Amino acid sequence: MLKFIVRRLIFTIPILFGLSILVFLFVRALPGGPAIALLGERATQESVEQIEEELGLDQPLPVQYMRYLTNVLSGDLGSSVSTRRPVVDELKQRFPATFELALMAMLFAVAAGIPLGYIAAKRYQGILDNVSLVGSLLGISFPVFFLALLLKYVFAVKLGWLPTVGRIDVTRSLEHPTGFYLLDAIIAGDGAAFVDVLQHLILPAIALGTIPLAIVARITRAAVLDVLGEDYVRTARAKGLDPGVVDRRHVLRNAMLPVVTVIGLQTGLLLTGAVLTETVFAYPGLGSWILNAIRFRDYAVIQGGILFFAGMFIFVNLLVDVSYAFLNPRIRYR
Amino acid sequence: MPLLSVRDLEVRFFTRRATIHAVNGISFDLDAGQTLGIVGESGCGKSVSSLAILGILPKAGRVTGGRVMFGDRDLLTLKDSALREIRGRDIGMVFQDPMTSLNPVLKIGRQITEVLFKHLRMDKHDAIREAIALLERVGIPNASDRLDDYPHQFSGGMRQRVMIAMAIACRPQILIADEPTTALDVTIQAQILDLLKGLVEEEGMGLILITHDLGVVAGVCERTHVMYAGRFVEAAPTDLLYHHPRHPYTLGLLRSVPRLDASQKEKLIPIPGAPPDLTVLGAGCSFAPRCPYATDRSREVTPVLEEIDDPSHLVACWNPVSDADASAVAVPVERGRS
Amino acid sequence: MSIAEAQAAELSLERPSGLWRDAFDRFRRNPAALVGVSLVLIFTIAAIFAPQIAPHPPNQQVGPLSTNPAGPGGGHVMGLDEQGRDLFSRLLYGARLSLLVGIVSVGIGLAIGLVFGALAGYVGGWVDTVVMRVMDLMLSIPSLLVAIGLVTLLGRGMVQIMFAVGVTTVPIFARLLRGSILGQREADYVLAARSVGVPGRRLLLGHILPNSIAPVIVQATLTMATAIIEVAGLSFLGLGPGDPSLPEWGKIMADNANRLESAAHLVLFPGFAIVLTTIGINLIGDGLREAIDPKLKS
Repeated sequence: MLKFIVRRLIFTIPILFGLSILVFLFVRALPGGPAIALLGERATQESVEQIEEELGLDQPLPVQYMRYLTNVLSGDLGSSVSTRRPVVDELKQRFPATFELALMAMLFAVAAGIPLGYIAAKRYQGILDNVSLVGSLLGISFPVFFLALLLKYVFAVKLGWLPTVGRIDVTRSLEHPTGFYLLDAIIAGDGAAFVDVLQHLILPAIALGTIPLAIVARITRAAVLDVLGEDYVRTARAKGLDPGVVDRRHVLRNAMLPVVTVIGLQTGLLLTGAVLTETVFAYPGLGSWILNAIRFRDYAVIQGGILFFAGMFIFVNLLVDVSYAFLNPRIRYR
Repeated sequence: MPLLSVRDLEVRFFTRRATIHAVNGISFDLDAGQTLGIVGESGCGKSVSSLAILGILPKAGRVTGGRVMFGDRDLLTLKDSALREIRGRDIGMVFQDPMTSLNPVLKIGRQITEVLFKHLRMDKHDAIREAIALLERVGIPNASDRLDDYPHQFSGGMRQRVMIAMAIACRPQILIADEPTTALDVTIQAQILDLLKGLVEEEGMGLILITHDLGVVAGVCERTHVMYAGRFVEAAPTDLLYHHPRHPYTLGLLRSVPRLDASQKEKLIPIPGAPPDLTVLGAGCSFAPRCPYATDRSREVTPVLEEIDDPSHLVACWNPVSDADASAVAVPVERGRS
Repeated sequence: MSIAEAQAAELSLERPSGLWRDAFDRFRRNPAALVGVSLVLIFTIAAIFAPQIAPHPPNQQVGPLSTNPAGPGGGHVMGLDEQGRDLFSRLLYGARLSLLVGIVSVGIGLAIGLVFGALAGYVGGWVDTVVMRVMDLMLSIPSLLVAIGLVTLLGRGMVQIMFAVGVTTVPIFARLLRGSILGQREADYVLAARSVGVPGRRLLLGHILPNSIAPVIVQATLTMATAIIEVAGLSFLGLGPGDPSLPEWGKIMADNANRLESAAHLVLFPGFAIVLTTIGINLIGDGLREAIDPKLKS
């Protein structure tokens, strides 16, 4: 098992390198040149020349890349053009927000999607099955931002049950030792704040998690249907095991294999969906941060943000592969 | 009193397009310690019968008639919760393909102990010890180490032994083996059959061996039933069946088996025609279209199993094979006789 | 499985796949697929005949400028926008854009992806490894980010956008075709053909490709749906076509996202237009998948 993890890790390294090269080239390819990119379009000629020398932009490309790489590996991602703060600091602030949101969305998708798919499969061609099929279809045909807008419109604007923007009521004060507002509220023992943060999370999480839910439900249903027809399920029944045991130990454990893979793949959807959802709810996470950076040409942020985003994505894929190997002994022992 | 008594069992499959008459009234008895073989080509209903007895037919299948008496209870009338007590405990089953019949993500030790937990309420230590003992009994070396292995770490023959261990774990009164050797190499087949024979003798279990392979039945079963299109067409002690077959289908089966000791000039005589269409259940003998002995009566009236020659020999045929023809057939090489 | 069970299984499913004719028949009898075809047909007709159907030109002001534009009624089926333009007409012209985007971006993705996939699958060796590593890299970055990156790089014209979205679909097709070809290469019928001397190129073009094509068609259809949604998403983020007069559905929604309270129709109608089109395409894709291989239960 350990060998597998190590092998997988080693495999990831060239991809990370490839990613860094891509982002490096991307910034260099932007119109106006990287100096202007990093300084902003109003930079004076002097400061441009100064930066160019500083950054060694007169050096050959590979040398520049090495510099860039060393910077990145030592944690220096440059400074934001708009706020003048180090990109890393802003990352530390924005990342927990998106993480909390994505986690909630994923929990929602999995907690609702797997049972739905399972029941749909057990009652094959029953009413719930057909409803779930329709639901899945709707789920993958709805643009995330439309769903977000709809939810906002119905629940926040019209019904007023939930807040429309932000992570927390602006009038509320809360210490943020971790940056994860839910945790912070627990640490501070502030129950009202906890509820408030939760309320701000509900709509964006549902909006973000609905498409993954549809996909998870679909895959679970297909996987369970497949497994139900397998010979070893028949063997389990012939052994006289209780139906619950057969379902849990024999059906589900095998059906979960493809589902886990899909859940992992959904993380990509989640990250990109976050960009759209955060915009609708003015949620101060990574997504809206990168988006504003693109709008206002804050290339340092774009570079750092994309690098981080994609890096996280790769890391999550690694986690998914490992957990799949954990669940499927055949992969482990190769 | 027989251990198991099946009377007029009927099974149908109901699909959107058509109804399939898989089993059309079979009856047999099984005594303790008796080995019974059910032989027939693919699709004749032999596997379906065993699934029906245990109550684990696939969704589209349903028992539409008959009785299955186990002791003084009719299994067909029992609720699933009652049947679950019997499955795996009083009646064990071994399936055809050990590759797909074992759960790939569970350790095989677990797959054995779960039966022990469920039926014998053993505690963990006892169950593990018993599982090791079972594995040793079915001939798996290093049993205690192997408990933690997964099915894919075993060879085909070993996997089948594991399946047998699972099936006999609770010392069932009856063991049903559905094509236990079909998916295995020939050399391994003999070993598995010997194992089954040995277990039956030691435990005094009743064994129902289902197969399409005449050689398999020859060395293991005292009595053999030949099945065609959902019905028994002949039933007799195995030796008698092989030396004096009376049903044209049995004759055909015996003649079409290749033999190592046959001369090169002897031709294999296949049975002409195609397997029957099970969606229609007409009158008359189902084998008639392919039968060189068929008469008008064969085509109009369904034959009934009747004694012929001997009380232990039953045939369902209006024009059985003559003794002369029957004796001319060579007996197939037996597997399972060490 | 005994023949009885096999017969049962076979009868309760459809006839085994193989001929195009069979597939077409199955598709025709699939009610969901037909619904999909109807939906797509409606939108296609709307797109093609927009000039004839639309009551007004898409950019003509036919009502008052207003921060609180009127909803449906008063001769305007879907109401007006903040510049006094008829929403219904705009949406009809927008259909053109959406369908164009769907077809072109998938076309680009297919063309590039198939070349890579065929190369990797058929030539194999180091070509295969290199191509697949590059595809892995592309897949390791979320597609929206790739699209955003490309659009930032290339600018905000319709062509660039379609190219950007198309590029994000390349790894999907490359992988698919490669997998298909690899599977076919070892198939019995290929080995048989090779053993009687059928030459390599003919094998590829005449046998392997046609059989690998089916899943690609299904995937192309489904990818079209996601392409449309992705472009709408790009528009929503402000990275859509730079030309402000283009009535792209996502753009209309983006422009009016703040007006939900006062002018919800400006968000709801284009939104549901996207949803319905996408549903239609997805239903067709699912129908195709079932028609080609009915034994799949997904």
